[in-house]
Amino acid sequence: MERNSYRIAIVTAMGLLLLLLVLMVGSLVAQLRSLSSAQSDDMQWSIGQLDTEFANLSALLSRQLSDAALPEAQIALRADIALSRLNILNSGSTAELFRTSAEAQQYFPELATYADKVIAILDEPAGLTRSALTRLRDETEAIRPTIRQVTLLGVRIGAENSDLRRAEFSRQLARTGSAAVALIVVMGGLLIVLDRLLRRADERDAKLLASSRQLASTIGASLDAIVTADGEGKVTDFNDAAEKMFGWTRAEILGKPLDKTIIPHRMRTAHKLGMSRYMLNGQRKVVDGGRVEMVGLRKSGFEFPLELNINSVEIGGETRFVGYLRDISLRKYTEKQLIDARDRAEQMDKAKSKFLAIMSHEMRTPLNGILGILDLLKTTKIDDKQAHYVRVATASSEILLEQINEALDITRIESGAIPLVDQAFDAEDLIASLVDVLTPLAEEKDLDLAAHIADSATGEMIGDGGRIRQILTNLIGNAIKFTETGGITIYASTTEAKGWSQLSVSVSDTGPGIPPDERELVFEDFVTLSRAEDGRQVRGDGLGLSISRRIARQMQGDLVFEEAEGGGAKFTLTLPVRRGAGKVLPLAPDRGAMEEMDECHVLVVEDNSVNRRVLGDMLRGMDHIVHEAINGVDCLEKANGRKFNVIFMDISMPIMDGIEATRRLRNDGGLNSDTTIIGLTAHGREEYRLLAEDAGMNRFQTKPIRLEVLRKLLDGPDANSSETMREGIQEPAEKAPVNNTDALQELAAALGANQVQHTVSQFFDELEGLMLHLPTGNGSDLADHSHKMKGAASLLGFVRLERSLTELEVSARAGLHHDRDQLADGLRQVADQEKRAAKDHLTRLVQ
Amino acid sequence: MGLQLEATSSHSGQQTLSLEALDALPQSAFVTTTIWTDGAVAFSGVSLKTLLDHFMAKGVEVELVALNDYAIKIPFEELEDDIPIIATRMGGEVMSVRDKGPFWLVYPYDSDPKYRSEVVYSRSIWQLSRVKVLD
Repeated sequence: MERNSYRIAIVTAMGLLLLLLVLMVGSLVAQLRSLSSAQSDDMQWSIGQLDTEFANLSALLSRQLSDAALPEAQIALRADIALSRLNILNSGSTAELFRTSAEAQQYFPELATYADKVIAILDEPAGLTRSALTRLRDETEAIRPTIRQVTLLGVRIGAENSDLRRAEFSRQLARTGSAAVALIVVMGGLLIVLDRLLRRADERDAKLLASSRQLASTIGASLDAIVTADGEGKVTDFNDAAEKMFGWTRAEILGKPLDKTIIPHRMRTAHKLGMSRYMLNGQRKVVDGGRVEMVGLRKSGFEFPLELNINSVEIGGETRFVGYLRDISLRKYTEKQLIDARDRAEQMDKAKSKFLAIMSHEMRTPLNGILGILDLLKTTKIDDKQAHYVRVATASSEILLEQINEALDITRIESGAIPLVDQAFDAEDLIASLVDVLTPLAEEKDLDLAAHIADSATGEMIGDGGRIRQILTNLIGNAIKFTETGGITIYASTTEAKGWSQLSVSVSDTGPGIPPDERELVFEDFVTLSRAEDGRQVRGDGLGLSISRRIARQMQGDLVFEEAEGGGAKFTLTLPVRRGAGKVLPLAPDRGAMEEMDECHVLVVEDNSVNRRVLGDMLRGMDHIVHEAINGVDCLEKANGRKFNVIFMDISMPIMDGIEATRRLRNDGGLNSDTTIIGLTAHGREEYRLLAEDAGMNRFQTKPIRLEVLRKLLDGPDANSSETMREGIQEPAEKAPVNNTDALQELAAALGANQVQHTVSQFFDELEGLMLHLPTGNGSDLADHSHKMKGAASLLGFVRLERSLTELEVSARAGLHHDRDQLADGLRQVADQEKRAAKDHLTRLVQ
Repeated sequence: MGLQLEATSSHSGQQTLSLEALDALPQSAFVTTTIWTDGAVAFSGVSLKTLLDHFMAKGVEVELVALNDYAIKIPFEELEDDIPIIATRMGGEVMSVRDKGPFWLVYPYDSDPKYRSEVVYSRSIWQLSRVKVLD
């Protein structure tokens, strides 16, 4: 706007200037013309000549009259010349000069009369006689004063005209001068305006320069690469950081298309498409789209990840793209390292969990033997001292088992693998059964165990009753353990909310309580508060509370501690449960297969020969007819041949596992499709429970299987079915008569000497097989074999052999080969000794 | 009354040219106003250069003299092919002595401002009687 008005001012001033110039030039040209046309001077001269010419004529005529020396024609010529001068006055510029003068006009008739008279005289036929000459002279003399007057008048008018012209000239000069002055003023004004404009332009330039310098330095010093491109995708600017990033210099890359330089080959087509899409209809994906991660190409040909932000700018109708780029190789590298580290940690965690699971399984297998044998031991005749030893050994084994199970639980909870089951349960029944089971434990310490169930907490609820039982067992068990006098009170109630209920069960005791600073500590892993009395074996509670709280929280509930009245401990479990309707159904229906207890055919499906033998012996000891199968396929073949009353089915077996075998039995519609199947597993409590139920197993038992449990399993219809489907608490060891004979003797007493002899000889046969493979066998097979034999040796009481086999297993597992021969020799020696001793012993027993 | 032509370098020396002799030479003509006449007037005659060339008169200057002995000089190099002319006729009529005759040296004053200068006016000699080529 401002610029336009200036432009108009300048153009107007220039126009004015031009107009003045034209006027001046015109005026000057006119002046010049007037100066150069010298007609007035010549006119003055002509008029002046008039007087001279007449003076000459008069003198000539007077001389001719006196001497008549000249010819007549000469006189006539002179007269004609004088007349021609008179004519001047009547024509041309001279006539013009005199036309305005009244004075001149009064002379002209006189002059005309004179001319007429002279012409008449000259033209007389007689020629120029003396009289004619005289008349001519007289006329000429007479007219001369008039001629003189006219001449003077002409000079005067000429002078006056000159004055007028001079005045006009000076006026014109003055006009030209003022025009020039005006011009100078206008030019001066114009100069001022121009100066101001120039100064403003300079200021603007300086500002622009400063800001562009600042921008240039900003761009130059930017840590991010800045690349600008025009609408055709050609580079128009490239800063220092970009040079470093891409390896191109600014001079090299300017004017080159992006898709021939810094865009990786594989993306060039996409780039072109995107650009044309943008230019055609302004459709934008990357442009003005915020931060994007892409890949750039260095001049060296290496690709690298970058973060990019592109803006578009319209400059004079042209589109410019400004890209801000950041090399994120390092970030990507760090990210990848973090991800790798996380993956590694997860892998380690998984490995840890797997290790724990395997370990617990590995520990359970020998425990199976120990507990089985201890149970068998109790059925023999032993004295009180031995009974005490057996009880202590059993209790210790049970604690060990419990700890293994807890460790396994922790692993499972951490990996989120605890499946929660929605089932109907009755809180009143559940607590009552717990009280029943735990009362003997409380009575040992003369403690009262009482439960109060609020009316609100009766009736069917939907939730994981098994898990609730597990938590409460732990809480009550702990309460009994830490309380010396008084009792334990269980209180259950519910509060109702819309659509669900909150079940709250508290277990309070009269024990010493927990100091305030340890109250949260008890919920952490592996914390045992030092309150166990001296010299007394206590149940490890390192993980119990921690597991209980985790389970409670997984069920959207919580487990909290508060101080009970009188200073004892009070743990409260709160859980959301849904209200069910109707009666609680037994978990597993009783198939009534156990009715014919007299002639009971039992099939034991188990791949581990020792465990198969132990279970078989236990069952035979209970007067059942035992059939054996070594895997699922074998089981199906045997089941095809006859109907069994009960099938004990190991879950994990080679060739075909127990789950698959059960499924097939249930579905083939054969002889055993209705047979009671009891699942057995050495794995954790939970892994296979759902699978087993789905496959159609009636019950589910975690190894080691105890004689007591076995008896219960086979005895009545399943009063304890839910108990047996998940391994429950361990009952206090039964007091049984014991004696102090060695392991073989005990076995023989329980199973019969012949049976034991058979087992022992089978053991040594297998050991022979192991030793045959020893020098050449594959490390891990050897280790597995040794492991299996070790368990059997332990069961049969071959302590030295067990030790040797352990050494062998460790050595084989570690891949050590050099001392195998030595180990083999040692094993052979020990085996021979043990075999001889066992033979002697058994011979004695048989006798 | 004829026109006297004197030229030292000329082959014919001194001679007098009659009106007829002048009419026999190549003619030039133009129409112009003059400061001595009223309105535009047609002049015809022989151009001075044609006349001098015809008689191969060569020199530095040419001097022209009127009946009343008024004389002027024109340098040779200022002579143009057709300008000035020695007019023999004005408005198609021969001129008498009483009216600037019989010969009048005229320029086409209207055709160019340069012919309206003092020098040109002074050279416009009437009642021309003699042309003399000076070395």
